[in-house]
Amino acid sequence: MATSKQNDILHVAADWWVRLRAPDANDDTVDQWLAWTQEDARHLETFERVSDLASRLGTLDQVSRQSLIQAFARPSARQRRWLPLAAAASVAVALLSGGLYLGWMRLVPGITTQVYNSAIAQNRDFTLSDGTKVALGAASTMTTQFGRNQRRIELKDGEAFFQVVHDNSRPFVVAAGDIAVRDIGTAFDVRRTGERVTIVVTQGRVEISDVNQKPGQTQRGTLEVSAGQMVSYDPNASGMTVGSMTPEQATAWRSDRLEFIDEPLAVVIANLNRYSPRPLHIADTDLDKLSYTGSIRTDAIDSWLGALPQVFPLRVNEKAGGVTLSDAEHPSRR
Amino acid sequence: MAMSTVTLSVHVDEIEKLFREHNRALIAFLQCRLSSLSDAQEVAQEAYLRVLTMDNREDIDSLRSYLFKVAGNLAIDRLRKRKVRSDFAAAQASDEPMGEATPVHHAMAVQQVAGIRHALRELPAKTSQAFVMHVIEGRDFGAVAQTMNLSERMVRYHVSNALAHCRARVDEKEMP
Repeated sequence: MATSKQNDILHVAADWWVRLRAPDANDDTVDQWLAWTQEDARHLETFERVSDLASRLGTLDQVSRQSLIQAFARPSARQRRWLPLAAAASVAVALLSGGLYLGWMRLVPGITTQVYNSAIAQNRDFTLSDGTKVALGAASTMTTQFGRNQRRIELKDGEAFFQVVHDNSRPFVVAAGDIAVRDIGTAFDVRRTGERVTIVVTQGRVEISDVNQKPGQTQRGTLEVSAGQMVSYDPNASGMTVGSMTPEQATAWRSDRLEFIDEPLAVVIANLNRYSPRPLHIADTDLDKLSYTGSIRTDAIDSWLGALPQVFPLRVNEKAGGVTLSDAEHPSRR
Repeated sequence: MAMSTVTLSVHVDEIEKLFREHNRALIAFLQCRLSSLSDAQEVAQEAYLRVLTMDNREDIDSLRSYLFKVAGNLAIDRLRKRKVRSDFAAAQASDEPMGEATPVHHAMAVQQVAGIRHALRELPAKTSQAFVMHVIEGRDFGAVAQTMNLSERMVRYHVSNALAHCRARVDEKEMP
């Protein structure tokens, strides 16, 4: 097979790439490599493509670079997932003691609690008692607990965008699952899909911390994130990853458009369900992990569903009152 | 100056031939060593210039071997300069641009970075770790071997495998 031959060449080319970079590469190595490039026109061509990819990966932008290093080059990242980011030029990391952190979280008597929620396909805008503006996404629930020393929000489900009136004496903290986001003069978006949390800072900076302290951990890190950066947290995958997203993308949902960058299909569907009049359901779990990047109009979910089988190996079946996505490979379900 | 003009005319034809037959390989070789196409092109030019202006042509058996040797040495010099610059910048804790010794950084499309991330997830943890440390983080094989407690040979094996795998995955996306 031509493809398997091509694959062999690819592996040999990658081997040469490594050998030529090794400190023990000498004139003979270079001569042997030159001889190999002359054996077949595809050899040099494949080598160039391998080398080109490596060059591009060696000169990545800071945010992509750090997120890949954090995800793959730090084996103990799960235990100390904040620390590796210390090297990032664009991300400053500060360590706070556990005591100080708990200070934000402790519930103080005399707090007023309020619950806000929104219906399916309905975004809500409102202003909190401190002047902070909130845009709550569809089918979302949040509670506010405002005390003298702190303003605490809990996002129980869905998505919310905050334009915070900063007050040094009353920190503004949004909790979403394992994650707490603390404002430092900011506007930011928080989306919670089950235990998965995505935070995008559109203005200023926030501090993000993992609330779920493990036994034996005495110190905790906070990650400082600034405008244009996106942090995704998934307790079942690599923990935190840092990426980038524009303010327009992050708040597109306020103008009836959901934006996703490299999100599992299961997360995309869960968020669409906050807007879809008909419940969407994934029948085969192997579809959950398919990665989706793109924008979806919340008023045109049906046409998006119609186009989906062109992008992913799946089938869309309409059933009474709902829509089911199933693996195109599997025999049809009843 | 007069000397070099005389020497130049002696082997200029040979160098033209060298350029025609091996320039592409020379650039590929230098890009491999320097992880930067523009740096590779600059160093290649300098290497031709050195070969063109050398005054001991009669002592050289193979002009091609000599060209690659000169180019390889120039690449080592450039890598050394880069390291000095980046160490200096790290010591100064400055995030100012580091000047011409550092290759230009490019934003890769978000989708492409996501594609690489997926490709790396398909590999054994050690394979992707060695690859990211060497290719993306820029640590040399020895340093990666030490951190991962592996032999340099194993590190090279992992890096090579991951590189072939990522290239294949990127190809699938670019030409389905």
